[in-house]
Amino acid sequence: MEWAWLIPVFSFAAAPAVVIFGKYLPGKGSWLSILAIGGGFVVFWLVLDSWLDAHTGTIGCFTSENTSLLTCDYERSWFNAGIVGAVGSVSLNWGILIDPLTIAMLGLVTFVALMVQVYSLSYMKDDPRFGWYFAVHSLFAAAMLTLVLADNFLLLYVAWELVGICSYLLIGFWHERQAAREAAKKAFIVTRIGDVGLLVGILLIWRDVGSFSMLDAFEAVRTGAMSEGVATASAILLFLGAMGKSAQVPFHVWLPDAMEGPTPVSALIHAATMVVAGVYLVARTFPLFEAYDADPLLLVSIVGLVTALGASTIALVATDLKRILAYSTISHLGLMMLSLGAFGYTAAIFHMMAHGFSKALLFLGAGSVLHSTEFQETGEMGGLRKVMPVTAIVFSIGALSLGGIPILAGFWSKDEILVAVNDHRNVTFIALTLFTAFLSALYMGRAMFLVFFGPLKDQNNHVHDAPIAMALPMALLGVLALGFGLISFNWPGSFGGFGTFVFFGHGEPFHFEVWLGALSIIMAVAAFVAAYKIYALRSVSLQGLRSRNSGLLKIVENKYYFDEVYQWTIDRVVLVFSRFIAYFDRAIVNDIIVNGPADVTRKFGIMIRVHVTGHVYSYAMAMALGSVGLGIFVWLRVA
Amino acid sequence: MVDLVYFQLLSAALFAIGIYGVMARRSAVLIVMSIELMLNAVNINLIAAASHMDGTGKFANFDGELIAIFIITVAAAEVGLALAIILRIFRNRSTVNVDEINLMKW
Amino acid sequence: MNEFDDVALLLLIVVPLFGSLSMMLMPGGQSKESWYFAIFISALSLALALVVFADYDYDEGGFQYLTSYEWLPGPLDISLSLGIDGISAPMVLLNGIVLFGGVLVSQTVKHRTRDFFVLLFALSAGVYGVFVVRDLFFLFFFYELAVLPMYLLIGIWGSSTDFGTFLRTKEYGAMKLLIFLVAGSILVWIGILALYVEASDNGVATFSLQGLAQMAENGQFDNDFQTLVFPLFMVGFGVLAGLWPFHTWSPDGHVAAPTAVSMLHAGVLMKLGAYGIIRVGMFLLPEGADNWMPVLITLGTVNVVYGAVSAMSQNDLKYIIGYSSVSHMGYVLMGIATLDNIGVGGAVLQMFSHGIMTALMFLLVGAIYERTHTRDISVLNGLAKRMPKNSFFFAIAGLASLGLPGLSGFIAEFMVFTGAFRTYLPLAILAVIGAALTAIYILRLLARTFMGEPDERWNDLTDSSPVEMSVGAAFVAIILFVGIWPDPLLRVINVGVQSVPGV
Repeated sequence: MEWAWLIPVFSFAAAPAVVIFGKYLPGKGSWLSILAIGGGFVVFWLVLDSWLDAHTGTIGCFTSENTSLLTCDYERSWFNAGIVGAVGSVSLNWGILIDPLTIAMLGLVTFVALMVQVYSLSYMKDDPRFGWYFAVHSLFAAAMLTLVLADNFLLLYVAWELVGICSYLLIGFWHERQAAREAAKKAFIVTRIGDVGLLVGILLIWRDVGSFSMLDAFEAVRTGAMSEGVATASAILLFLGAMGKSAQVPFHVWLPDAMEGPTPVSALIHAATMVVAGVYLVARTFPLFEAYDADPLLLVSIVGLVTALGASTIALVATDLKRILAYSTISHLGLMMLSLGAFGYTAAIFHMMAHGFSKALLFLGAGSVLHSTEFQETGEMGGLRKVMPVTAIVFSIGALSLGGIPILAGFWSKDEILVAVNDHRNVTFIALTLFTAFLSALYMGRAMFLVFFGPLKDQNNHVHDAPIAMALPMALLGVLALGFGLISFNWPGSFGGFGTFVFFGHGEPFHFEVWLGALSIIMAVAAFVAAYKIYALRSVSLQGLRSRNSGLLKIVENKYYFDEVYQWTIDRVVLVFSRFIAYFDRAIVNDIIVNGPADVTRKFGIMIRVHVTGHVYSYAMAMALGSVGLGIFVWLRVA
Repeated sequence: MVDLVYFQLLSAALFAIGIYGVMARRSAVLIVMSIELMLNAVNINLIAAASHMDGTGKFANFDGELIAIFIITVAAAEVGLALAIILRIFRNRSTVNVDEINLMKW
Repeated sequence: MNEFDDVALLLLIVVPLFGSLSMMLMPGGQSKESWYFAIFISALSLALALVVFADYDYDEGGFQYLTSYEWLPGPLDISLSLGIDGISAPMVLLNGIVLFGGVLVSQTVKHRTRDFFVLLFALSAGVYGVFVVRDLFFLFFFYELAVLPMYLLIGIWGSSTDFGTFLRTKEYGAMKLLIFLVAGSILVWIGILALYVEASDNGVATFSLQGLAQMAENGQFDNDFQTLVFPLFMVGFGVLAGLWPFHTWSPDGHVAAPTAVSMLHAGVLMKLGAYGIIRVGMFLLPEGADNWMPVLITLGTVNVVYGAVSAMSQNDLKYIIGYSSVSHMGYVLMGIATLDNIGVGGAVLQMFSHGIMTALMFLLVGAIYERTHTRDISVLNGLAKRMPKNSFFFAIAGLASLGLPGLSGFIAEFMVFTGAFRTYLPLAILAVIGAALTAIYILRLLARTFMGEPDERWNDLTDSSPVEMSVGAAFVAIILFVGIWPDPLLRVINVGVQSVPGV
């Protein structure tokens, strides 16, 4: 298990190798990259196996008193700041921490990354920068894996930033397009602002605890060595970073624009892996959040709820297929945060995985559609199941899963979330959450039916289904979307269900609240039926509804004007301030304060230089007068 | 013995004439001559002072004469140099009128 | 090896001086030969610097390679005493690297090449001198030697900026730089004399750093004296370090200077100022330093934020990098002001890291200017398509600038933040925000200049020459190396920082 560090290292090695040697390798280095991530996937199984065999006595492993999970920790020194051992010095380490949360994340990341890279073989086939694409993919996978393995905050921050820069490079991959450049810049800057919070939070913890190690921090919280104020403040600051990466309101604006990147990138980064880094962070540092009165968790759940609800409404009226999926992602991330905020730790992680598989599947399916149709407006699509049946099937599986239809993975996870919210938060929360669940089923159904059902337009006759390299990953993900829910149950034998694998504090075997479950099933089914009627059969018209609520509709369609407000702030506040400072520096500090004395000196010099007349007699006169004066002076002094 | 005062008066008068010459003359050569006059006036003063050191007309010590010899030497060298420069200027500008030689003006 | 140890530091100063003097004797007009000889001399100096750095015993610490040559004994007690410690060793290495790189890319200096290198080597001799001497008089002497050739270098071989309404001639840049820096050195000189007088009043009259440091330790300089004299050094050296509000010479100087001079200027010269504050200010006047640190850290924070915000609105490529230097020197000054061993260590590491990073950026900008004859970013675009390697290196330099982990800038900035967090929390938060602001102007620069589709007029651009590329690659390698494995540098720095009083 201590070899788990190989998982990111394979991809770390692959990235520069592809950049430097890619030209000479088969497939421009794409095979090297896939090999690396595949190797990582294999090692993941070995790690899982090894962990299942491990117990408290195994080297490096102990039962954490914070999470009550079996945790294994391995470290190696990186660098020392300050003198080793002296007061105030810091030792920074490469370290990995393995507990069930890590294993769940490793599985998710390696699997989805592998699927997406295989898919990209076909999707990005004709791109001139094919090799570079895979190099950055490898670097991203490596950074993400490091992030989930990190056992100290510094390494986490390093990986966090690396993940951000890879996202920047991949979103802006087609940088010839202005929109792509802008989107990449926006993503990086918005997440950077959140990262300020993250870094400040990390340093605050360090200031209090004296170490960057997560385990040390959790220990300090548990023993009360860390005060409530510090714990709350640092938790909220860490959450700021999480909000940035996981696109919570008001940091969500970068995710829809990030759809400018290639669709496989959206599947990997903006559905299954990078965006869940924030959720992972909150889960990993949960002891900080639930310390004392767990005030930060209230904030987390509120932010999560607002995000989930708001994004669902926008997804309902968006017309670009990828944008619908983007807002859906934002909404589900909000649900995960909400779950964490409602102490539904297991539910959140389970939903993260189920959503990861399903959303990646949806994006790959959308990619399959875009690959042949080359446009993204759902208004232009319709009835595509007739020409691309495989894609239609897998897409529908993903959509039904996220909509919350029973048996499929998404239903179980959503149900667990509802249970958690109901148990720990007040009635408003559960009501709004149920409404959000209804909306999510509705917009998923809308997307599904708009694109694949209904009449087929003539212009789409040439559209063909996905080739095998694209279809296979989608099919595998589809299987997972279908069957993943099964591991949440208690199976006979020693496996007590997901709830006893990943948990916080105490494991809970799966349980089912009948009334909540029934309510959610009814809503999901009703939503899909309504969507079917409206969008597939076109038998129900929304015209009346639209015209009566045109004002509200306009606000939602414009995404609640977040982008406009931000743009205004940037143009009127930030850039104006910047121009002011630049002007201040040039005109006041330089021209007045610096050049001023220089000019005064020069003018003074011009005034005085008239005494250099060039005429000998004036000099002689000056000498004569001077010596006479000197003589009188000496005479007066002597006398 | 002639009193020291008269020598000093003579010296002062010659010096004043010299200064007048330096400042009022337009010809560079005449200015140099006036400078020579000033120098010789100073010589007279110094030798007279040397000879009146102990109140008698005798030369008690020769400091004044030593200085005077220094001055004569330096004056000779300086006049040589000055005349060389004036010659050069005349070759360049065809004039020794100092009013017209003002290139070193700012 | 012992004999080598005795002369190693003296050789460091003598080699470039010898290069400078012997090039004066060369016939003028032979561009290529001058360049080759210059490469030889700078390679020699780099080799010396590498050996000296590698041989520094970091377990033992303290001052090593100590030698002393008496110059003016008696009441003045001035001697050329040499020695390096953990703080000066990386700086010597930095100078060697940047000088070598700068000489290699100066192939394009065709006009009066010999004179260019004469001045450049005199400058480097001065820089080496400042880092290795242990005597105040000679420190000042070499300090001036490092500053004065800049005037001629910028005034003759520099370039002017003309945007129509905004004109900055190279003569203006050179003159402003010189007057500012000399004004700073006047303050420093007054401080030095004050120290000497106080030393002779209270103890032994000497200019030796060791002697004065000893006196400071024994408490022979009283608190009032220290509080009065320290700002002379803080401001005097701070001017060279780009301390706000005395920084305006820096952007204009950077922009007007030719490539190699910009590399040395931003990469090494500005670090002289910070080094002076540490070596003279903090070692000799520790109580004064303690009292003035709040001011220094506040000004340093202003540097960081002000520089970053200004850089956001600039349109000249070199101005952006110039203001970026002002901002990054802010981190150095903040680190020094924390009086914390991690903070000061971070400051020294940032001096090294920023030196390499900014030298790389100026190198690349020089290559761009050589080919396009403009530095206006509203006109340059899509250069990634025409100059791919240049753009790639520039991207790495830019990412190092914004503190991306894995590159050297992150470790240095992180150490500074850590140190600052312990002592001045609100300012540290501002500095972290400054790092976020850096992302904005760097990305703006990258997007405008390198990404997108190029104009037709850039169709014939060639990528950088092999020489430029190898130097660029070497610098990138150093940035990556220090970012991933900072230990070789840090263990030397940590030991050096340990001996700074008050830390």
